[in-house]
Amino acid sequence: MKRELSRRNFLKSSGAIAAGVLASQVMPLAAAQGDLPFEVAPEAVNPLGLEAGANVEGIFFEGGFGRSYIDNAADIFRALHPENEMTVEGIQQVSEILRPRFIAGNPPDVIDNSGAFHIPMDSLVADEQLTDLAPLMAAPALDTPGKTFGETLFPNSQADGVFDGRQLYLNIAYTVSGIWHSQTLFDDMGWQYPSTWAGMLDLCETIKSAGIAPWTYQGKFPQYMVFGCLMHLVYKTGGIQAIKDIDNLVDDAWKSDAVMQAITMMHQLADLGYIMPGTEGLTHTESQAEWLQGNAAFIPCGTWLENEMRELTPAGFDMVIKPVPGPDESSYHSLVAWPGEPYIVPVNAANVVGGMEFMRCMLSKANAQFFAKEISAIMPVFGGSEGVELSSALQSALEAAEAANGGFNYLSRGWYSDLWTAVKNATGELLTNRVSPEQFADTVQAAADEVKADDDIPKYTHA
Amino acid sequence: MTKRKWHIILPFTLPSLLLFLVFLVYPYGQAMYISLTKWRGLTPKPTFVGFANFEKLLGDTLFWNALKHNLIYLVSIPVITIVISLYLAFLLTHGKARFRKFYRIAFFFPQVMSLVAIGVLWSFIYHPTIGVLSSIAGMLGAADPIAWLGNPDLALGAVGAVVVWQAVGFYVVLFMAGMDSIPESYYEAATIDGATRWHLFWQITLPLLWDTIRTALVFLAIGATNMFAITQTMTQGGPNRSTDVLSTYVYERAFLSGKFGYATAVAVAMFLLAFALSILTMRATRRETLEY
Repeated sequence: MKRELSRRNFLKSSGAIAAGVLASQVMPLAAAQGDLPFEVAPEAVNPLGLEAGANVEGIFFEGGFGRSYIDNAADIFRALHPENEMTVEGIQQVSEILRPRFIAGNPPDVIDNSGAFHIPMDSLVADEQLTDLAPLMAAPALDTPGKTFGETLFPNSQADGVFDGRQLYLNIAYTVSGIWHSQTLFDDMGWQYPSTWAGMLDLCETIKSAGIAPWTYQGKFPQYMVFGCLMHLVYKTGGIQAIKDIDNLVDDAWKSDAVMQAITMMHQLADLGYIMPGTEGLTHTESQAEWLQGNAAFIPCGTWLENEMRELTPAGFDMVIKPVPGPDESSYHSLVAWPGEPYIVPVNAANVVGGMEFMRCMLSKANAQFFAKEISAIMPVFGGSEGVELSSALQSALEAAEAANGGFNYLSRGWYSDLWTAVKNATGELLTNRVSPEQFADTVQAAADEVKADDDIPKYTHA
Repeated sequence: MTKRKWHIILPFTLPSLLLFLVFLVYPYGQAMYISLTKWRGLTPKPTFVGFANFEKLLGDTLFWNALKHNLIYLVSIPVITIVISLYLAFLLTHGKARFRKFYRIAFFFPQVMSLVAIGVLWSFIYHPTIGVLSSIAGMLGAADPIAWLGNPDLALGAVGAVVVWQAVGFYVVLFMAGMDSIPESYYEAATIDGATRWHLFWQITLPLLWDTIRTALVFLAIGATNMFAITQTMTQGGPNRSTDVLSTYVYERAFLSGKFGYATAVAVAMFLLAFALSILTMRATRRETLEY
């Protein structure tokens, strides 16, 4: 049943892709491989040497992006390799379910290792469990003629997956994070999105007097305010150096003037009473639902928001994402953008080549266009939004990313999970006025010092 | 014992003995070993480190924080649950309440639901904007919605209250069964001598029910050292670790930080705690069983 449905979706979308291809006048000349809606050059059909009959087992985190794009990629794989079977299984508790497979030495061939319960990448790297994807990166791309697979991906979108020169995982989503609002609400009320933090506080006052809570956030999961607000402010007050100092565990990085200023700025939202009362007791989806109901004007989030809340979004809501305004206008455009939803090919998998070959289908232009159209999200693949009609949310995200020149990222999130747990907890305390910005900095700095002193945690450098 | 007897004993005990060894003794032994290693839980080869994990544990503030919450639950949940259950059971047994059967089923109902379902249900009851409790607080004049599970001062109590709510029904039924087996004639004789309800409860019901209460105490104490399902569903140990218990801390260290050796050391500490507790409770509450 599921398979049939996804087939139908696939056919529907492939029609759209074909139209897109026509529009961009890249007419395929030769016959397509199998059922594929696009042309595959002979050298790009099986560059990795996948053996016929070697089946591929994929187990994937099924979260905000759903699974239709995975099924779509699997359908491309099946059409490309009719001799090989591919299974797709969606799970949530990645760590619990897949650890026994790793320990037993028979992990699946390809894994989406994402979600709150993923297996820490630092552990996988330290225990040499991941395949070096160099052959895949150098192989011809599936549907971008004349380019290698690696060349079709956004520059730097895979940098965090490189360890000692080896590409050990691939991010399939390009996430922009920032502050969301309803364009319709703002137009109706005559509000303008501010270009400075002072302007933000002024607007919050206006919004509050209109009887709406200016802000809410994902309450029980305060990390949304970390990647959706605080780290933006840190960059805007201290530049990339402040971010690197935090990543590199530089002594007293969290207590520098710039970082203190950023913490204080975020704290103003709580201090001035701009956060919706009761926010801290809500889950991420509950707070996002409150926001969609118009009970709060702003919410921080990444670009998965639109798809996650699709069923609850009122018609004509027109959600858009904007950068976090900084101390002055010059720093307005920068934002945290990160490649996410990392996929891995375990080194002990039965069919490593099959896992890599699936990744070529996953990060193909055709699947990127499916992702943009059906999931309203961005894959870090060139030409991934060609011929796709974009939603207001995706349009605004692409514009923001372009204006920010790709944005910046802080990398230690994937390195030192204990540090970011401490930041998350302290953020919850700060936004409920239970600690001061100084206490926040003390707590987090102590956690950073502890990570630095722990010899069991491998250290990396944000160069 | 003759050889012949073994022919009969062995086939009967061997299966259960095997099951016991494979599924209980072996995993426990394995866990003890893993607690002495450094292991990320990805390869079959942990590195032996001796008692390093236990040394680290003594200085780990997060461990003590979680243990503190377990201890708070341990002294509060059994007592509160047993007091409420005894009260309700006594009322239903001696209060000549109408719809006695209905109440018994109604009280027991939470027991048949899974803890996860209860956690989700109560998360809605505690919901700051649409939850029943917040609406009531609003009607009583609270200005701002109360974030029961979002406030570190309230969350621990809020989670504990759910466990009490869930457990009471079971113990009401248990105690009612115990009370029903106490001969009516004792009460009649005492009443003739002028005993009040209060006297009946303290002088007859409680002493004759002591064995049942003792068992209840042990069950509840063991439950209070775990608390995983309900905490994980409702708060994941948050906000800011205010509802962290040993079991959620074990989970976090093992599955989210990838420190299986250390997490297992915490789990072993937890096991010792539960083990010591059940022995202590049984010892402390040991009295001569009254025959009747």
